[in-house]
Amino acid sequence: MTSRKGQRDAARVVRQQLARERRRRRTLWTSVGAVVVLVIAGLIGWSVWSGQKSDTFTAPPGANDAGNGIVIGGGPVTIDLYEDYLCPACKRFEQVSGATIDQLVADGKVRVIFHPVAYLDRYSTTEYSTRSSAASGCAAEGGKFKEFTDALFARQPAEGGPGLSNDELTDIGAGVGLNRDDFGSCVRDGTYRPWTDKVTEDASRAGITGTPTIKVDGKDVADPTPAGITAAVEAAGK
Amino acid sequence: MTVTAARIRATRWPAVRPSAGLAARLGLATVWLVAGAAKVGDLAASGRAVNAYQVMPYDVATVVGAALPFVELALGVILLLGLATRLAAGVSAALLVVFVTGIVSAWSRGLAIDCGCFGSGGQLAAGQAPSYLPEILRDLGFLALAGFLLIWPRTPVSVDGWLAGEPAVEDDDD
Repeated sequence: MTSRKGQRDAARVVRQQLARERRRRRTLWTSVGAVVVLVIAGLIGWSVWSGQKSDTFTAPPGANDAGNGIVIGGGPVTIDLYEDYLCPACKRFEQVSGATIDQLVADGKVRVIFHPVAYLDRYSTTEYSTRSSAASGCAAEGGKFKEFTDALFARQPAEGGPGLSNDELTDIGAGVGLNRDDFGSCVRDGTYRPWTDKVTEDASRAGITGTPTIKVDGKDVADPTPAGITAAVEAAGK
Repeated sequence: MTVTAARIRATRWPAVRPSAGLAARLGLATVWLVAGAAKVGDLAASGRAVNAYQVMPYDVATVVGAALPFVELALGVILLLGLATRLAAGVSAALLVVFVTGIVSAWSRGLAIDCGCFGSGGQLAAGQAPSYLPEILRDLGFLALAGFLLIWPRTPVSVDGWLAGEPAVEDDDD
């Protein structure tokens, strides 16, 4: 081994070490950069969401004390209904069991608290869940919440489309006897959107993860058929 | 027979690996971009989907649900660019392990929820059966992509490669 060869080897080792050091530093900084990007993305999500939350809301007349649902009837047993006007299963539930619940209300046996949650905004192109729920607040203001709710389920639009327009919602409201001008401007202005947010937020917090959810005196009804609901109300009334 | 097959595979592997790596990187990037985009439009719903797993308090779940779509989108962009690929693959793998754990735990606790992986999420309508097994298998497939990139992070057409200024080779003996 000549000394010249030894020098060449030594120089090569140094070069390799420098290259390795450069590589390590480059990897470190790109990794730091990527982590920073990910953290910033998460913070953006948090702040966007915080900005979307509304803090103040006005519940429409006829709401319960908590302000997160509309009260129908005044019986001793409470039925909580969590429904989204766009949810097909809710429409089926109304078709199958709506009359039974109406009868229980008429007989003075139950008090219904209807929570018009907006869970399915992603399933329409125009946030129909939120718009229809806010419109139901306008209907409550005009004293026709139940009639408007029934009419909305009867004319439920398909998921994935634009839903009903504000004009169509106004027509439906006028059809059940609401003042077209007052109701129409309330729907167009989205007066009760903050209330819809409150209804939805409270339902989420209460662990309502899907619609329809039916509770009798705070307990989930596993069998939301006419027979199941009647049985649950009788059990709760004892 | 087996020996020759193995030898062919061994000789082909170095030639195939760069394109396989590129496919894995772009595939994983697509997964994150699609998953993030599906959730980013309705952050409240994303929070509800997280809350449906019932593993953290509601307020924490909403924050996680709001942050997650943005992190997923950022991860998708980073992988698309090929920046810090090994780290991005590591974060991907960690997230996927968390997701799989969440689904397994929801399954074992008898919850009937949609995983919320690509939007939707939350409780299923009555009579709708959860599809936990396909969801888990799908996530394990994504985990395999992340694992590939963890082991061989250098892929063609990447910022990493451009910064290094060398062709995509793992070993660089002078």
